[in-house]
Amino acid sequence: MTGPTTLTGIGSTPRTGVGTARWYRGGADLTLPDRPDPSTVDPAIERERFEAAREEAREAIRLARDRAEARVGGEEAAVFDAHEAFLDDPGIVDDVEDAIADGTPAEHAVRDRFEAAIGQFEGMDGRMAERADDLRDVRDRLLRALLDAPTPTDLSTLPAGTVLLAERLTPSDTAELDPAAVAGIATVAGGRTSHAAIIARSLSIPAVVGVVDALAEVADGTEVLVDGEAGEVVVEPGEKRRAAALRKDDAPVVPEPVSTADGRAIEVAANVGSGAEVPPASDRGADGIGLFRSEFLFLDRESPPDEEEQYEAVVAALEAFPDDRIVVRTLDVGGDKQVPYLDLPEEPNPFLGRRGIRLSLEEHADLFETQLRALLRAAAHGRDGNGGGGSEGDGASDDDRDDRGGLAVMFPMVSRVEEVEAALDRVESVAADLAAEGVDHAVPELGAMVETPAASYLADALAARLDFLSVGTNDLAGYVMAADRESDAVADYHDPLHPAVLRAIDRTTAGAEGTDAWVGMCGEMAGDPELTELSVGFGLDELSMSAVTIPAVKERVREVDSAEARELAEAVLRCETRAEVRDVLGLDE
Amino acid sequence: MERIVEVVPEAGLHARPASKLVKTVNRFDADVSVGRAADGDDGSVRADSMLAVTGLNVGHGESVRIVADGPDAEAALDAIEDLLTSPVEDGNGGEENGGGENGNGSEHAEDDAEGDP
Repeated sequence: MTGPTTLTGIGSTPRTGVGTARWYRGGADLTLPDRPDPSTVDPAIERERFEAAREEAREAIRLARDRAEARVGGEEAAVFDAHEAFLDDPGIVDDVEDAIADGTPAEHAVRDRFEAAIGQFEGMDGRMAERADDLRDVRDRLLRALLDAPTPTDLSTLPAGTVLLAERLTPSDTAELDPAAVAGIATVAGGRTSHAAIIARSLSIPAVVGVVDALAEVADGTEVLVDGEAGEVVVEPGEKRRAAALRKDDAPVVPEPVSTADGRAIEVAANVGSGAEVPPASDRGADGIGLFRSEFLFLDRESPPDEEEQYEAVVAALEAFPDDRIVVRTLDVGGDKQVPYLDLPEEPNPFLGRRGIRLSLEEHADLFETQLRALLRAAAHGRDGNGGGGSEGDGASDDDRDDRGGLAVMFPMVSRVEEVEAALDRVESVAADLAAEGVDHAVPELGAMVETPAASYLADALAARLDFLSVGTNDLAGYVMAADRESDAVADYHDPLHPAVLRAIDRTTAGAEGTDAWVGMCGEMAGDPELTELSVGFGLDELSMSAVTIPAVKERVREVDSAEARELAEAVLRCETRAEVRDVLGLDE
Repeated sequence: MERIVEVVPEAGLHARPASKLVKTVNRFDADVSVGRAADGDDGSVRADSMLAVTGLNVGHGESVRIVADGPDAEAALDAIEDLLTSPVEDGNGGEENGGGENGNGSEHAEDDAEGDP
């Protein structure tokens, strides 16, 4: 390509970055050719191929180990020693050589033997199941060597100024990225609300997703500008365009809480998915944390965090925001969020299966209890240690809206009043245990996520029992529209601006009206400055978003008049199609 | 010859201790097998196979029976005993002399809460 070429996608992280294009081809195609007739296979050649593949794999494993050791230390690097031991395992090597002697090509022999070994480890407890992942890793290294497939790039060691191009990125790919090195991301597939896009946003990496096939034309080494606000990828932008894009500054940070032009206070908080995201949220002017995804404490490890570790993580967040509220969401796994050692049930349709509070009340009752103990202890910390008090959650009796500080806890994936009552019972019994043990504690504000149509319909009943509700627009849109958020084929359905979704949000705030419960929103819609007026119009008290959009939303809140916002919301609620909604909001279709 | 040894490393015979065991066994001219002490000969597997060793799923605090046969049998047993009775293995474990220099980091005493409800 010559001269600037602009490709259009969907802006995901509203920042701009420029750098050198580099394609990431993650899971290369490791499909094997058909198994040939054994009489046509030369065992001597196959044995040699197997040997060569092992040596190639060994070199790669050692390289990975050295790198891991330099970056994160020997503990993390140890896993690669295990990989090398599998590579040399006589139980594997002998069987593969036997199969080769019988006329099996090396790649088929490798695959068969590893499948058998993987099957052995799978279905065992957490630590053993991880060995299955190790075996898969070693198998893929061997197969890549045998099939001459490209090696995936190590995403954590990309050179500074890389613009990563990919067909798609998995959440774990994205989590590996070093925000200091990656200047931007552009993907062929994916939507704004895919987990990978959300992680990129929380890392503040400029990102444009859904660029489709045109992106494939961009060669490695090309200079590329990623404008996550306009949703554009500019190939060979040239000096002028680059300077202009980088000058276009984000809105100024507003550290203090903001109110609408007519004086209605709106809390603008951050969604965080790791402890490392807390300080940047504070830097960008967050009024506390509106969604603390506690599951990050459970990922990438072999066993769940104990009470003390969870307590400390929450206390650290409370200390980072001494005057603000921290809303911790209790463990939300299941659906697409899998944790190997938790042995989650295998389900044909996990999004409609056991996830969130459903697991916490049954299969994961012990984990839930540990988490509640940690949270109730942390709540005492947030209230300067006047432990023991608190309501059982029936209304916000002693919690004043003006008092923004302290801990709040919310339950994910609520769809029944019974679940809330059961969760409140658990809280009460944990509080009683802690009191009996003489441990300092307090009952935090308690709330529910509104992510299911059921929760929206029941908002009045939920609000009567709780201190707050928080609308998760991503899942709510998915469940209202019956559209999988990770599926590109139905990406169009997955938009909070569909009238059905907007009515579900309105129903939630309307349901909570007349109770003492406040209502927040922690989905992607909350972080879109173009929708801030509408959110205010729905009567939301709190908006929580990726830290990167906080300054822009705060700026917008100050311009909004809440009476006009309400009129806008009413006009939008009369709309019957998304096109009408966008028209009323003055957005381009 | 054989020896009964209690597995001291926190991780049991998994991950690093397991790969170090396999590595150690390969340094000696001896056939070595390992199994839970309580299982006698029945549960015994070849100690030079990572697959077999981790498949035993031996945890911290369990006793294993090591059987060695061959010219280096005794030396192999000594090295294995050293390895399995050191609480924390340090460094890259190449040609060490049995792991005497452990001092730091032996406080990882809390993750035996393996598994979950």
